[in-house]
Amino acid sequence: MMGPSTEKIGAPAKSAGPAALGPAELVRLYRFMLLTRILDERMLTLQRQGRIGFYGACTGQEAASLGAAAVLEPGDWVFPALREGTVMLLRGYPLVPYLAQIFGNLGDPMKGRQMPCHQAARSVHQVSWSSCIGTQLPHAVGVAWAAKHKGDRAVAMAFLGDGATSSADFHVAMNFAGVSRAPVVFVCQNNHWSISLHRASQTASVTLAAKAVAYGMDGARVDGNDVEAVYAAAAEAVARARDGEGPTLIEAETYRMGAHSSSDDPSRYRDENEVAQWAARDPIARLSARLLAANAWDPERDRSLRAELAAEVNAAISAVERLGPPETGTLFEDVYGTPPWHLKEEKVELQREAEANRG
Amino acid sequence: MASFEFKLPDIGEGVVEGEIVKWLVKEGDEVGEDQPLVEVMTDKATVTIPSPKKGRVTRLFGSEGQIAKVHHPLLSLEVDGESGKGTATGAASEPPPARAASPGGDDTLRTGARVLATPVTRRIAREHGLDLGKLVGSGPQGRVTKADVQLALQPPSRAPGPGGSAPSRPRPPPAPVGARAEDQRVPLRGLRKRIAEKMVTAKFTAPHFTFVEELDASALVAMRTRINQTLAEANDPFRYSYLPFICRALVLAMREFPTLNANFDEASQELIVRGACHFGIAVATPEGLTVPVVRNVQGRSLRELGEEIVRLGAAARDRKLTLEELTGGTFTITSLGQTGGLFATPIINHPEVAILGVHRIRKRPVVADGQVVIRDMVYLSLSFDHRVIDGAVGADFTYALIRRLERPELLFLDQF
Repeated sequence: MMGPSTEKIGAPAKSAGPAALGPAELVRLYRFMLLTRILDERMLTLQRQGRIGFYGACTGQEAASLGAAAVLEPGDWVFPALREGTVMLLRGYPLVPYLAQIFGNLGDPMKGRQMPCHQAARSVHQVSWSSCIGTQLPHAVGVAWAAKHKGDRAVAMAFLGDGATSSADFHVAMNFAGVSRAPVVFVCQNNHWSISLHRASQTASVTLAAKAVAYGMDGARVDGNDVEAVYAAAAEAVARARDGEGPTLIEAETYRMGAHSSSDDPSRYRDENEVAQWAARDPIARLSARLLAANAWDPERDRSLRAELAAEVNAAISAVERLGPPETGTLFEDVYGTPPWHLKEEKVELQREAEANRG
Repeated sequence: MASFEFKLPDIGEGVVEGEIVKWLVKEGDEVGEDQPLVEVMTDKATVTIPSPKKGRVTRLFGSEGQIAKVHHPLLSLEVDGESGKGTATGAASEPPPARAASPGGDDTLRTGARVLATPVTRRIAREHGLDLGKLVGSGPQGRVTKADVQLALQPPSRAPGPGGSAPSRPRPPPAPVGARAEDQRVPLRGLRKRIAEKMVTAKFTAPHFTFVEELDASALVAMRTRINQTLAEANDPFRYSYLPFICRALVLAMREFPTLNANFDEASQELIVRGACHFGIAVATPEGLTVPVVRNVQGRSLRELGEEIVRLGAAARDRKLTLEELTGGTFTITSLGQTGGLFATPIINHPEVAILGVHRIRKRPVVADGQVVIRDMVYLSLSFDHRVIDGAVGADFTYALIRRLERPELLFLDQF
């Protein structure tokens, strides 16, 4: 495979050179990147049809999120920002409950309590998306620090966007990670847009990775649309974290090709030419081209994989969409061991009303 | 074939409407699933809406440039077989008028038996065994407020005695009162409604008699002035009103006439002479009359009384009084200071049996020792429940009060 492009910032790395992926592993990553893209397209359509309430797409950032997470072991933890939902699928979470969460219905393990896409599953060690910018970062450091104390060799990978590097929680997390040498890897997906604010207006720092220096940790800047480069940078950072060599901030330079979310209209604030330029660097097209060039892939397999994934997604949608809403009473569960009187009263009242409305 | 009505979904977070920018299909067109139907511009985004189903367009609701409301029909499709058992917005359609509810507004009225109340209100009601469903809420959308509960929990006022011995209430059937265009109808709500109810109960339950006498307050005025000057010289920001002195005088007078510090139990037809003095102080607030209660007046220093009255007055105006501070009075003082007028006929704060009205202090010429002199004069108006307080008792009580206020040094002596 072609050499990945990574630029080191800060202290020189002590570990060995970048890890490389074999063809079978790359094809597996390609499959999940494609699944992510197909899901995004289907879900945005469903949202416009009123079948789901909200969606946030990963489109354009598949390499940065999946390439980094592919390094992780089952005991490691993922603290997503936005758009890293399909990392769960990559790490073995099934598609049907994943979609049920987006529909927020009976099949949703989170019982319809979270906004669509704000998935979480203990089984794959992934916490919810954090729509509040940067709040996941101190949490990740806390988990990493705990892992260090327990000596269980688990690593926490925290995702963030370019905008989050301006948040107070980023500073808190970076500082504490640096001083505690917690086994945490920060993966900053610099997609150039914090909703409608361009990266250039976000910070005067020349790069985001440079922010690592002040906190006494390593920083790396990587082509976020090159899945092998992302994987290599993450593999090195995770290995060092696991070996007690402290945290790393990776800046994966990528681009949000779609809207911020289904509620956003980027044509109001950004130039379509910029989108076109980045479309030419589409991470899925690049990986596909690379696999084809290495004879690890062929157009026929590509077609059948796309058809297979589309069918899988559509079948899962059909299975999920049939389910009714979550039980009304579940609204009152899972917070108190013994529910207090006012919740019991409210539950009865709500159920009575729901009953009356049904009748 | 079945009809499927597609309603405009909420395509943003909390979008309520959108402008139809461009129809991409027309009536009679065959459309496939996910085929673009229409471009809609909301305040957040302009989006293309794809068809959730395959079918034939039978009706477009609204033309380009018109506003489409979220959750209202956008277009109808004739779809295959199954009677449109879609989910989300794609429910089987009834004729549009059946669903044509006005946007938003109607929902708020569809409450039926639902009680709207905050957790703290629910808790107070629960602690007092009060059924919130039986109250009429004065808050937005009929919400039962804390004040509603507090007022409902004030000492019971209605309920005439079991033997029917209480006089029946002469209530004529209410005749409608007309209003003209230049008139304004103001419904009684919340506190105003409770005040009205309490006043009616008091006035129709307790036969009032009002006794008015004048008081030479010159010594009291002079004493208060000296006291406040002393405070000013000591850089103490506190200033005494007349109320602490009046409270002290009442307590002393009540030792001679204990039946004035009492509540009348309508149910048992008994006078409950209270061992402690809890005086209500009538306070005018923007919402209406409120009567916080100073507890255990008999055991407090003048300074404590003064500070407590100031605190309760402020709490009343801020609507921050607790239930405890609004209930349990044994006597009420209503003092209007400079707007106090000459005299009045106060209405008893039922089930108390007496109320003192203190009016405006003004300098008037009076005859003293055969001379016309200028004195600080004030009228006191006391109303009594004539069922339990005789005229002579009421008058004697008034003089017992006046004696102490005219010679304020007596306020500092226990034996008078």
